[in-house]
Amino acid sequence: MKTLSLSLAVALAAGIAAVSATPAAATGKVTCKAGPQSGWKSMDALTAALTKDGWTVRKAKVDGGCYEVYATLPTGERVEAYFHPVTFEKLYVEQRGKVLFRKEGY
Amino acid sequence: MGMIYCERLSISLTGAHPSPIAAAMHSLRSLRDSLPLFWLVLALPGLWLAADWARGAIDPIDLIAPTGEWSARAMIAAMLIGPLAGLVGQRGWLRWLLARRRALGVAAFAYALLHLFFYALDMGELAAIIDEMVLPAIWTGWAALALMLPIALTSNQAAMRMLKRAWKRVQRLAYPAAVLTLLHWLWIHDGASVALLHFAPLVLVWLGLAAKRIFSSPPLKQAGA
Repeated sequence: MKTLSLSLAVALAAGIAAVSATPAAATGKVTCKAGPQSGWKSMDALTAALTKDGWTVRKAKVDGGCYEVYATLPTGERVEAYFHPVTFEKLYVEQRGKVLFRKEGY
Repeated sequence: MGMIYCERLSISLTGAHPSPIAAAMHSLRSLRDSLPLFWLVLALPGLWLAADWARGAIDPIDLIAPTGEWSARAMIAAMLIGPLAGLVGQRGWLRWLLARRRALGVAAFAYALLHLFFYALDMGELAAIIDEMVLPAIWTGWAALALMLPIALTSNQAAMRMLKRAWKRVQRLAYPAAVLTLLHWLWIHDGASVALLHFAPLVLVWLGLAAKRIFSSPPLKQAGA
């Protein structure tokens, strides 16, 4: 029984270590290989372009080398969307885990 | 300063003059066994997040995930204690944990409410919330919360006395609630590996318990049951 509780404790510790070692930033949904950030267009420019399209951007950040945007679509859905930081091409859109759009190859 | 405090404490408690070390050990032990302190420790992450939000350091959108994760953590911790007791038998530290299982369960519900609060705040309008409810990742969250409600409401001595044997059945709603919580986390698609690692200890103790039952019970008893 002692060895069982010991192995349980070791497994728990390993699990906790693995969780804390997982990088919090990259969710791995989409990855862009867009080169150095100096070549990227600005996040503000992306937000402005999306606003012009009727999106309401609530938050934007870098994730997996892409721009990740939390926004409300003109049709009202709350979505999480990924854009290429150089071309601003739309790569991926999901609503609470339901994939609405995914560009081929991404 | 610490010495003076400890000595005064020991005198008031025992009337004798034990060593300052013994007095310090005594006060440490009473801290460890203090239930209000345990409740406070459970509330700390929530208070921390709420304070950040109150001073505008963090937006509701970024508070949804952490509050949900704390809810799941408290739920998993509460649900680990029973199977652990079944695995390793009566131990001092297990009695300590068993006395805190209710606090952990109630904390899981409180963090789930906080999770809902920040979600609602981020959504902004009821219509948008209702529109999303059909999505798998969302209804599983609502269903888990709905199952946790009766558990939380009956987490007191009065309900235990009133419901008698039915009380245990109410508490067992934690199992479907845990499955729904895991699905909610997986389907929202925000780090499946982290979700699975959180729930892995539960699966592990359940497997351990099943293995113990298979290997330790005599064949006769198994057939009789």
